[in-house]
Amino acid sequence: MPRPSQTSQPRLASGCRWGTHGEQQVVLFPEGMIRVQGTGRNILELCNGQRTVQEIVATLSERYGTADPVKITEDVSSFLEVLQRKRIVDY
Amino acid sequence: MISNPLALIAEITHRCPLHCVYCSNPLQLVATKAELSTEDWVRVFQEASRLGVLHLHLTGGEPAARTDLKELIAGGHLAGLYTNLITSGIGVSEARMAGLVEAGLDHIQLSFQDSRGEPAGWIAGAKGHTYKVALAQKIRQLPVAFTINLVVHRQNLDHIEEMIEFIEQLQPERVEIAHAQYYGWALKNRDTLLPTPQQLENCMRAVEEAQLRLAGRARIDCVVPDYYARYPKACMGGWGRRLMLIDPSGQALPCHAAGVIPGMQFDNIREHPLEWIWRESAAFQRFRGEQWMPEPCKSCDRRTEDFGGCRCQALLLTGDASATDPVCSLSPDHHLIETARSAAKSDAAQVSWSYRTSMG
Repeated sequence: MPRPSQTSQPRLASGCRWGTHGEQQVVLFPEGMIRVQGTGRNILELCNGQRTVQEIVATLSERYGTADPVKITEDVSSFLEVLQRKRIVDY
Repeated sequence: MISNPLALIAEITHRCPLHCVYCSNPLQLVATKAELSTEDWVRVFQEASRLGVLHLHLTGGEPAARTDLKELIAGGHLAGLYTNLITSGIGVSEARMAGLVEAGLDHIQLSFQDSRGEPAGWIAGAKGHTYKVALAQKIRQLPVAFTINLVVHRQNLDHIEEMIEFIEQLQPERVEIAHAQYYGWALKNRDTLLPTPQQLENCMRAVEEAQLRLAGRARIDCVVPDYYARYPKACMGGWGRRLMLIDPSGQALPCHAAGVIPGMQFDNIREHPLEWIWRESAAFQRFRGEQWMPEPCKSCDRRTEDFGGCRCQALLLTGDASATDPVCSLSPDHHLIETARSAAKSDAAQVSWSYRTSMG
């Protein structure tokens, strides 16, 4: 499975969903959960299966103001690729 | 401070149409008439959710042997738990499976005994392989996460590559290659189940190849069986630390096999709140933390990683539940494991099993 492209529409994979653990936001999946904080959470919350990677990057660029879109695209792609391999994200 | 449990393993029945020779159920099975009611289970799921539990694993026996399985899944789902069904698929029609998913099931873990029908039936002491293949294809069309679990051992490891290819065709997102664990029924059959070192090496290589080939399509997990590991596994994530198991009659156990430990009193959810059982009951406190640890665990740096290994395994192999798990290479009883491994090198000419019995 290659990296997501600009037009990929990432979403939580089948059987993966948001949950709360105490005060924390977590993503639940069959064998456990991951705590998602900071940038990772900001990315994942935008992954609704509708928005494209390009749109997600644009939203984040706007939110962070001065950040470099090329760098953000790189960060978003590698983050999604890692979660895709764990079968937590699909695109 | 005592942490909250993260997962509840609900062994909702010990009834099962299969008789697998490595079944993880205790040798003393709970009778049907002693099983908890639907209402009791749903109340436990609600209590578990309030206690911080995230995952509910519905298992057995065969959980589908309970006619109220759909109500139990709905109960877990409405309590806010991530619900996982661990099933052989036998006795579940395609329509019923679709209904379970509608009721809120998040994940199905379907077990296979082999890629081939005949040896699968031999291990399970029952037919059903062809049906499971058809059911797997149906499950793949349902909106649910899908894991296939394959138990491996000396009798099937010689065709591990074929078994992985077979599973691959059924398109699960996850694959668990699970080495048999030697408790209960599997311990009775250990001499014919424990893999040889060559088989194990070949298995780990085949798994690595498949992990590369299937990257992004299926995640494959395979852990070295603890008889061949240098250090013990962190059984249940540590005693009374992450998981609790409720047996069909409502007894709360810190580990599947804890019933074998002499002198253990298990409290029942019919009589006590789940939170009290978790925090206060004698069973959950017995091996919690480090106070009980003997040497070499007590002064070992790994004690916060593996918690001294499995208490039930220590009891079964050494006769002392407080001993260091003998699978640890530092254990004074480690020779017991070495002896078992040597026995696995020479193959028995004729295999005779102890099949898991049906309910009495």
